[in-house]
Amino acid sequence: MNFELTEEQSLIRNMVREFAEEEVAPTAAIRDEEERFDRALMFDKLGELGLTGIVFPEEYGGAGADYISYAIAVEELSRVCASTGVTLSAHHSLCANPIFLFGTEEQKQHYLTPLATGEKMGAFGLTEPSAGSDAGGTKTTAVEDGDEWILNGTKIFITNGGEAETYVVLARTDKNAEKHHGISAFIIEKGSPGFSFGKKEKKMGIRSSPTMELVFENCRIPKSNMLGEEGHGFKVAMKTLDGGRIGIAAQALGIAQGAFDIAVDYAKERQQFNMAIARFQGVQFQLADMATQIEASRLLIYSAAYKASNGISYSNASAMAKLMASETAMKVTTQAVQILGGYGYTRDFPVERMMRDAKITEIYEGTSEIQRIVIGAGLTR
Amino acid sequence: MKILVCIKQVPDMESKFKIDSDSKWYETADLVWRMNEYDEYGVEQAVQLKEQQGDSDVTVLCIGSDRVKETMKKALAMGCDRGVHVVDDAIFAKSPQEIASIIADFSKDKSFDCIFTGMQSQDRGSGQVGVLLAEMLNLPSVTTIVDFSYDDGITKVKRELEGGIKALVSVKGPAVFTCQLGLNTPRYPTLPNIMKAKKKELLSVPVADLLHVESNQETAEIFFPEKKSGGLILEGEPADLADELLKILKEKTTVLS
Ligand SMILES: Cc1cc2nc3c(=O)[nH]c(=O)nc-3n(C[C@H](O)[C@H](O)[C@H](O)COP(=O)(O)OP(=O)(O)OC[C@H]3O[C@@H](n4cnc5c(N)ncnc54)[C@H](O)[C@@H]3O)c2cc1C
Repeated sequence: MNFELTEEQSLIRNMVREFAEEEVAPTAAIRDEEERFDRALMFDKLGELGLTGIVFPEEYGGAGADYISYAIAVEELSRVCASTGVTLSAHHSLCANPIFLFGTEEQKQHYLTPLATGEKMGAFGLTEPSAGSDAGGTKTTAVEDGDEWILNGTKIFITNGGEAETYVVLARTDKNAEKHHGISAFIIEKGSPGFSFGKKEKKMGIRSSPTMELVFENCRIPKSNMLGEEGHGFKVAMKTLDGGRIGIAAQALGIAQGAFDIAVDYAKERQQFNMAIARFQGVQFQLADMATQIEASRLLIYSAAYKASNGISYSNASAMAKLMASETAMKVTTQAVQILGGYGYTRDFPVERMMRDAKITEIYEGTSEIQRIVIGAGLTR
Repeated sequence: MKILVCIKQVPDMESKFKIDSDSKWYETADLVWRMNEYDEYGVEQAVQLKEQQGDSDVTVLCIGSDRVKETMKKALAMGCDRGVHVVDDAIFAKSPQEIASIIADFSKDKSFDCIFTGMQSQDRGSGQVGVLLAEMLNLPSVTTIVDFSYDDGITKVKRELEGGIKALVSVKGPAVFTCQLGLNTPRYPTLPNIMKAKKKELLSVPVADLLHVESNQETAEIFFPEKKSGGLILEGEPADLADELLKILKEKTTVLS
């Protein structure tokens, strides 16, 4: 067993950290303030650096690296800007990955390659107004009509919505089948007739990441755009989320690490009662807990990522990693604000943004309650 | 075209340095290591030259312990074609003259058309290796270059002089150039190139094979300068403070004259 990063993983961390600090960090606060997505910076640049297809084979335009490298990239981006982190995670794990896992050779050539090279951006549409944690409640329908599928319904809260060119969308193809069985997955391109965008959400955090409604009104797509087998969409969605959770866990880890780094530096500088506040045991205890939880989260994430890259089942591991890391992110960012005191509460320091950003990691790709359900079910099967 | 670029691994300059037990160098445990900043400009220039010329080969050379391999991999991921790792666990004890002679011995029969080094290292800062190397190889050298162009055997470079003045120098044939901040913007090693760097040749050479000179200098001691008496702290209202500061700057310094 070896807990050290490989040379490649270490080079990737340094490269992404340098890029994140020099190019992403300077505009993180203003993009949050203006709720502005900057595609050139937050996606196109990632493509140039080869980060849009980290784990996919070279033959599909990927870099052929492992899941630990992927987790490191999302972590380092999220350390300075959680919105950039989730842009990559949603694109890579929720759109490109199901096409890689379930796509036909033709679908991979046609859809995965431009996603992996960063020419096109991806998104994933599962959630609906009445189907959140209960994805089996999907109401969007897809009906066969000659050489086409016709979709009707709405998807809400879709990360990268409106900006992405390629969407993996779940819809019900069999109304009579039992809940989970009548659902299928589809690849839908922006610009398909009958596909439009609705409301853009105004959010508490990750405000520089667009979250949009997808609207399908007699949306017609070619029959060949079904992803995986008919009626197996629920399985596609669950497998997709297994991988996605590593990305969100890494996002949470990055947020926590970013807030922690700021809190430590601040505690060493800030003088009260004639000494640095870092010299108070009450502050050191907080820092000790924060660092310990961060390191524990990191190990869980890298271990889930290791399993994902080595063909070991990782459903439970990624649920544990996501649960631990997202709850750690919430605790650590809250404590970081505490350590910075009144300054931490203002927008002059990034920790208040990080605290707002952290909350979503306990909600999307399965709430913390759903992670516990997944882990519990796995343990008692 | 055959190009050589010499790089050094140095600690991150933000690190907290401690002096080692025999006061000859800093403690190396717990430091974060990276490529010497000036050498990054050298690597970038070497790769740009290769891209411009086509049919070229860039060798990156680094002296140090096994730890430096990671920094070499970065240079390979940035576009160097092959690496030569001169294995030496006590690089910090070598004088600039010894370092230059190691590189000169390696290069002497390789007929490099162009050699880049940093203008100095961020930790030792002697600024001697590039020029000594040129001397030993009997090549011209141009130091602190901030602009570089090559056409048909003629290299034109700009050098940075004092007071914002620059000099344009042209050199015919092979030469050594030492690189200064402003020469270029080093590229990020992209992820696919990091993966490909794994497969590039990285030759290991024991330092004893290349070192044939005795050091003519030695670092007797390194130390932190004695702390000067504490700075001046002004207190009061901002407007008064500004007046007082202005007065001090006028009377005690030349910055406003
Ligand atoms: C910013 C943002 C981005 C998003 N991006 C995407 C995206 O790209 N694609 C996509 O498809 N979706 C996306 N979502 C949707 C997200 O995944 C859902 O919001 C999430 O799964 C929760 O669903 P819900 O909001 O309907 O909450 P609900 O399911 O209504 O849950 C409400 C509460 O009830 C609890 N609860 C529900 N069921 C149980 C149970 N069985 N036991 C115990 N507690 C339970 C939940 O844990 C939660 O606390 C995004 C959401 C947001 C806010």
